Amino acid sequence: MTASDEPIYALRAVTKNYGAVEALRGVDLTVFAGEVLAICGDNGAGKSTLIKIMSGAEEPTSGTLRLRGSDVRFRTPQDALQQGVATIYQDLALAPRLSIAANVFLGAEHLRSIGLPFLKMLDKARMAREAQGYLERLSVKITDVSRPVERLSGGQRQAVAIARALRWNADVIIMDEPTAALGVKETAQVLDLIRHLKSEGRTVILISHNMRDVVALATRIAILKGGRKVHELVNEGLRPDDVSHLIMSAPEAA
Amino acid sequence: MRSIIERFGTAIAGLMLIAFFLVFAPNFASPTNLLNVVKDTSFLAILALGFAFALTVSELDLSIAEVASLVAVLVGWMIQSKVDPWLATGIALAAGAALGACNGFVVTVLKVPSLIATLGMAAIAKGLAFMITQGVSFVGRWPTGFTGLARGMTLGVPNLVWFLVAATLFAYIFLKWTRTGAHMIATGEADEAARLAGIATKRMKRLGLILCGLFAGIAAVLLAANLSSAAPGMAGDYFLYAIAAVLLGMTMIEPGKANVAGTVFAAFVLKVLGNGLVLMGVPYFVQDMALGVIIIGSVAFSASVVKRAAFKV
Repeated sequence: MTASDEPIYALRAVTKNYGAVEALRGVDLTVFAGEVLAICGDNGAGKSTLIKIMSGAEEPTSGTLRLRGSDVRFRTPQDALQQGVATIYQDLALAPRLSIAANVFLGAEHLRSIGLPFLKMLDKARMAREAQGYLERLSVKITDVSRPVERLSGGQRQAVAIARALRWNADVIIMDEPTAALGVKETAQVLDLIRHLKSEGRTVILISHNMRDVVALATRIAILKGGRKVHELVNEGLRPDDVSHLIMSAPEAA
Repeated sequence: MRSIIERFGTAIAGLMLIAFFLVFAPNFASPTNLLNVVKDTSFLAILALGFAFALTVSELDLSIAEVASLVAVLVGWMIQSKVDPWLATGIALAAGAALGACNGFVVTVLKVPSLIATLGMAAIAKGLAFMITQGVSFVGRWPTGFTGLARGMTLGVPNLVWFLVAATLFAYIFLKWTRTGAHMIATGEADEAARLAGIATKRMKRLGLILCGLFAGIAAVLLAANLSSAAPGMAGDYFLYAIAAVLLGMTMIEPGKANVAGTVFAAFVLKVLGNGLVLMGVPYFVQDMALGVIIIGSVAFSASVVKRAAFKV
């Protein structure tokens, strides 16, 4: 990596206060295109707040966000989505009783003209076809996209959530604890999905408590503690225990 | 097989009920009686579709009947005062929608749960209706330009049937095939997920309640036109029926979801039940009890949305 590499997404001196509580205290973070950046830290370290700010769910108290070289301000998650930053939330933010296709296109449905100037209809056939296509691209075998999401396994649901990010053509994908609620086999599936996103050149920001996942996937690791970034390291030959050790041993910020 | 019973079980039971009355209830099968049942279904189904819109965005509207009564009184007052029937109808429908918008404001801006907000609105609407009528009802020789809305025929078919068909088609196409309809459904299904996906969930909730008020207004105008009269509380009898139609409708076709086809068919079945029992000489109070059993039974068996909407207080 050379100094001329422009980061795809960068945070400068970001702070976030909730009343008297300082959730983030001057965090700098640089994300380079095509990498998997893991953000680690104990509960209360500021990971969730950082994600909310990066995804547009909340605005920072101070500090700046730069995306692809220009300053951005996200007022809503929609603002971020439209600029290619998609977030897959821990609880997945899917509508369980709606179909897979409806979930992939939630809030961004395809329409077709029916020859009337004021009325456009949902293009359900196209959405079904494309939803199927996104899932196939992720190498997920789901044959019937009209099935409700509630009938899918946890791993398949992650795939649907990722397919939605692809539908937005997001090149920065933030994943909040993607394997937290999954079994061993499904975790492996999701890790494959993340590798797949990386192989497509997409940038993944991964928040995880699972150090095995982190060292298996991340190109770099940032460690938060007490609302500050205390470490940032390149993942070369790190073991899960090394990361855990860094999280525990970092001095508490004053 | 299981999914067929799940989707059509209560619908088939409804058909069996209709068949039963066709065979055993005296005069039930006469064309005049059947036409009356269908006409009577139109008020109920339109009101129930309004309630279904509210339930689609996971809100309850317990004010529909009182709002409908108020709108009926309003239109009756205007007709009595020789306001042009078209203008009076337009104002009445706007009033229905506006009352729905008030519900929407209270629910989404003041953040009062819809169960409470619409209960309050019901009382306010009731009071307003009495205020307008000063306790008497509006009756008289109303212009056929107005009463014809409900009593007239077009192309050999009663206008009420046309209104029923139009309201059903509108609701179906709107909810199933438009983006706004899809956003309303997503809002009702998963508020937070819809919001994170950029859907204006509060606006969708307001829209659901506005459509509910508008449909209550349509039912009210037709009711007043059909009876050539308007009085406070005149739609009151339809309240439990409308709720029962939506809840019973939720047990069929798309189980667990407020759905248009189920609602309209259930409205018809409920009217058949009432009519058939009367023709068989069953005392009137049995109808009320049957209605109660249907309301509770429907929710016990499916309507999870209702449980969500009602208990988030």
